[in-house]
Amino acid sequence: MLKEKIENLKKQFLAEIEKIKPSEEALFELEKKYTGRKSEFIAILKSLKDLSPQEKKQTGELANNTKNQIWEIIKNKRQEISENFFDAEKEKIDVTIPGKKKSVGHFNPISLVRRDIEDIFTSMGYEIADGPEIENEWYNFDALNIPKDHPARDMQDTFWLRSQINADGTRKDADNFSMRSQTSAVQARYMEKNKPPFRIIVLGKVFRKEATDTTHDHTFYQFEALIAGENVNVGNLKFTAKEFFSAFFKQDVNVRLRPSYFPFTEPSFEFDISCLVCGGSGCRVCKNGGWLELGGAGMVNQNVFVSAGYPRNKYQGFAWGFGLERLAMMKYKIDDVRLFHSGDLRFVKQF
Amino acid sequence: MKYSYNWLQELSGTKLSPEKAREILTMHSLEIEGMEEKKWNFDGVVVGKILEIRKHPNADKLQLTKIDIGTSSQPSPYKGEGVLDIVCGAKNIQVGDKVPVALVGTKLPNGIEIGEAEIRGEKSFGMLCALDELGLGTDHSGIFILEKNAKVGEPAKKYLGVEDDTIFEIKVLPDRAHDATSHVGVAREISVLENRKFEYDFDGLQFEVKPRVTRGFTSNLLKVKIDDKKLCFRYIGAVMENVEIKDSPSWMKQRLEASGIRPINNVVDATNYVMLELGQPMHAFDFDKIKSEFPISNFQFPNPPVGEAGKSQSASWRTKSKVQIVVRRAKDKEKLVLLDESILELNNADLLITNGETPLALAGIMGGKDSGINENTKTIILEAANFDAVNIRRSRTRLGIKTESSDRFEKEIDSNLAEKAIVRIVEILEKIANAKLEGIIDIYPNKIKPCKIKLDLEYVNSLLGEIISKKEIIRILNNLGITTTIQPYKVVCAVPTFRVDLKTQEDLIEELGRIWGYEKIEPRPLVEPVIPAKINEILSFERKLGEIAVGFGFDEMYNYSFYSQMDANNCGLDGIKHFELSSPMNPDQKYVRVSLVPNILKNVKTNINNFESFNIFEIGKVYWPNNNAVEEKRMLVMTQVLEKDKGAETFYSTKGAVESLLEKLGVSKGSTFGAPKVEPLSVFHSSRSAEILVDGEKIGMIGEINPLVLGKYKIGKRVAICELDTEKLLKISQKEIVYKALQKFPIITRDISMLAKGETKAIEIQKLIKKIGGNLILNVSMFDIFFKDGVTSFAYHIEFGASERTLENKEVDEVMGKIVAGLEKELGLEIRK
Repeated sequence: MLKEKIENLKKQFLAEIEKIKPSEEALFELEKKYTGRKSEFIAILKSLKDLSPQEKKQTGELANNTKNQIWEIIKNKRQEISENFFDAEKEKIDVTIPGKKKSVGHFNPISLVRRDIEDIFTSMGYEIADGPEIENEWYNFDALNIPKDHPARDMQDTFWLRSQINADGTRKDADNFSMRSQTSAVQARYMEKNKPPFRIIVLGKVFRKEATDTTHDHTFYQFEALIAGENVNVGNLKFTAKEFFSAFFKQDVNVRLRPSYFPFTEPSFEFDISCLVCGGSGCRVCKNGGWLELGGAGMVNQNVFVSAGYPRNKYQGFAWGFGLERLAMMKYKIDDVRLFHSGDLRFVKQF
Repeated sequence: MKYSYNWLQELSGTKLSPEKAREILTMHSLEIEGMEEKKWNFDGVVVGKILEIRKHPNADKLQLTKIDIGTSSQPSPYKGEGVLDIVCGAKNIQVGDKVPVALVGTKLPNGIEIGEAEIRGEKSFGMLCALDELGLGTDHSGIFILEKNAKVGEPAKKYLGVEDDTIFEIKVLPDRAHDATSHVGVAREISVLENRKFEYDFDGLQFEVKPRVTRGFTSNLLKVKIDDKKLCFRYIGAVMENVEIKDSPSWMKQRLEASGIRPINNVVDATNYVMLELGQPMHAFDFDKIKSEFPISNFQFPNPPVGEAGKSQSASWRTKSKVQIVVRRAKDKEKLVLLDESILELNNADLLITNGETPLALAGIMGGKDSGINENTKTIILEAANFDAVNIRRSRTRLGIKTESSDRFEKEIDSNLAEKAIVRIVEILEKIANAKLEGIIDIYPNKIKPCKIKLDLEYVNSLLGEIISKKEIIRILNNLGITTTIQPYKVVCAVPTFRVDLKTQEDLIEELGRIWGYEKIEPRPLVEPVIPAKINEILSFERKLGEIAVGFGFDEMYNYSFYSQMDANNCGLDGIKHFELSSPMNPDQKYVRVSLVPNILKNVKTNINNFESFNIFEIGKVYWPNNNAVEEKRMLVMTQVLEKDKGAETFYSTKGAVESLLEKLGVSKGSTFGAPKVEPLSVFHSSRSAEILVDGEKIGMIGEINPLVLGKYKIGKRVAICELDTEKLLKISQKEIVYKALQKFPIITRDISMLAKGETKAIEIQKLIKKIGGNLILNVSMFDIFFKDGVTSFAYHIEFGASERTLENKEVDEVMGKIVAGLEKELGLEIRK
């Protein structure tokens, strides 16, 4: 009984599919009509439960097979439709021909490194501070514990500006201006207006009258960090630096401090990080030392706090100043610092 | 500075290898920048004994010798054993002398390779050596005679007075220049790092302090007067007689050379030697050249000569002229000829060593030529003094002289060092110049005393972040020569005068930290509260501008802040007052930029041969003087060069970038481009440039570069550039975006094209259309423009729509009619149907 019904349905389907004009919509309707949720077919399958186990098995098998045949036929018909829709042979293209590129600009790698640093430090609650690139003597030197005639002034060869002269030959400017030789000048300005606790970074252009070669340029970018509070110590400096460099280079980086001297810090350190290539075991890049020199750091000299108007020995802080180019050179394996300011697009377009 | 490791070892008593010493010094004291082994190579040179000397039969000047070099049990690459026949030219040899013999196969330091030779018919199997042939100085006066008990057949090296050494190149920073630019200073560091107290200081000089060298001892030949006690803190003058000027002994020369100082003669070398050892610069004057005879009656000797020293000098005391040394400021325009023969013109700020009248030396910097030591010198005055550091620094900077001496004095050295130095040099010259001390004058008005610092033990731990035990703190301080008195929670430290740099608690904490070891300090997270950081608006705005420019396809340039005067002229900026560097890297970098344009033009020049088209931008500051202040302005510059430009495409492309930028910043609505009056010499093209205005305020300029300027930079393509004031941009773009409802009702679009004769501007047409259409017009945009025979054809899309209803075609037709009429009537345009 049921078997017959199934056979009939099949015949009916075959007749109908021959009749229709093949289209996606028609096939969808047909599929719905014969195998959809409300179709006769499903009704048949539902009634199977009243049959004896043996009949159930036989009829069930037949029903399933028939359903699959219907699906198969519909699928073939669909394929036929899509094949006849356009002439694939005529449409054929060579996909190996280069695409039309979009015009896209490039940041100078200094900007890329700068952004990375800003992002990492902003996430650690640091404020980004800045200040003038032409500084007076007070902020560039005196406020940083580098008085006039101090030998430490020789540690940075400064580009002084010629003083402005009035028409009558008298000197116009009261201050001696120079191109700032360090971003630390911003420390002094920031501290005048803010009280600890605070944490800032300064990224900026600095100028030193130095002979240029593959590792020195007279204009470069410094990356300075300054943090002050009541309990800041050398261990904190190590921790912060380690966290930053590990994030920046995306690998576990160790830090090392060696004694040094800077007028604005006491104690002062030379700052090394473990070699990024060998991790500290020694290789060609670190000349087998396992460490790479990075720059200077230290605990803020109390005289600097006093210049900023803080009471002596109330606060403690650490500061460092590294060259941005050096970090970019390590990160991108650049071998000549002069490329950053070369204006050569063959360089910039690589980043 | 360069240091001999042998010398450091001798002073410090360390047994460390040079490598290990380098490591601990670098980690705890001073950075060793370089290390170089100095090895003497005399392979093949052995001790020989002269058995026989005969005349050479065919040459008067030569002799034939028989030399016993013994037998060697070791296999050797050099030829020779037993008794050798050697031809020799020198006459200073005698039978029985022991001499250095270079065997056949030896390569001498001067490059000569010894081979078997036949000289005028006589065979020779080796060479007897003079000092110069061994690379030991310039002495070629004769064969070097070795000591009597030298062992025949042994390598000669051990009898030549040479030592292999390791040279350290140490970077001494200004804080330690007063003590660590000396071997004693570095040796002291090594001792401390080996947990030993250093014994070599004044109270424990390793040589005997002779009783005569004490304060109050005087001289019959010398008088010293310090006129300016603010500039000269101490002056010790010692007179030595019977000086034999000659070469210094080999050990001294080697040490000087190891430190990079050229040996000259024993007296000059001794002054340098003591400076390298102790850090006290010294000077020696030729007594007889000072010529400041002064009447004996005017010379009040505080103590008449007594005792043994006095007796030995009584002869000279009667016959010799007396000399006085006066330390005074120079007179204006006073002249001095220095040792290097340069002539100085001085002023009142410079300090001089004089004989009361004429200058003898520029104090602490360089000696004068006229009083210098030469081979005829018999009596000398040795100077160990101390001068005001700042004044030395100012003088030598102004005069452009830099010497080993000024390097040390300008770093402020210990006044107490002078007496150690004079004791040391007297001892040395007694040995190497057979000199006799006549007397010493020491003028030292204000004796320097140890400085006292109260060190808070809590503070040590709080600043370093680690706990160092009290015991350890005391031990380190004591090893450094600091005497300590313990109080509750505090240590009172008396800092020896040789550590001029230790003035504050932090200075002492640094000493403790570095010697204890920074590597022992663990990284520790901050306990300070985190306060949400303020956003730096201008910096994040610049960052955003960069992102937009890069998004538009522009590449970022970083340029120097300097250019040349020529650049300023070329770009029409010479009318603007520039800052100038007082000493630039080179003349091309003399002016501090007032505009980003000149350097951007150089960027164009750099890239124009490598790229057919490019877009570049720079974000940076410009600066100029404004009365007594500095003005700094932040600028954004965008520049384009296109592959081809027929109809001002370059200009319009850059203008498009500006328009898109303003749109992105939400300020396009109020923005206009107005043609400015451009001077013919301006960097901008006089008829292809515009001011960029937002709500009537000028925020920048856009234009092609003046072809005249392009010519000066040899740029053969059109270049368009825009300059924007970023701070003004920030100010106007700060409004928050306000959402506008989407257009619900259909939009009707009409096109209109027209012909214009003469000067009709696109903006006028657009404005008129908008005015007539009123609020039914949603947008007017140009889709075509072309020029032919003096006529411009414009074509626009006009979009009509209403916010609350569907517009009827009839309504739009009516407005279009008004627009056509308006354009015809008001602008005289011919509308194309």
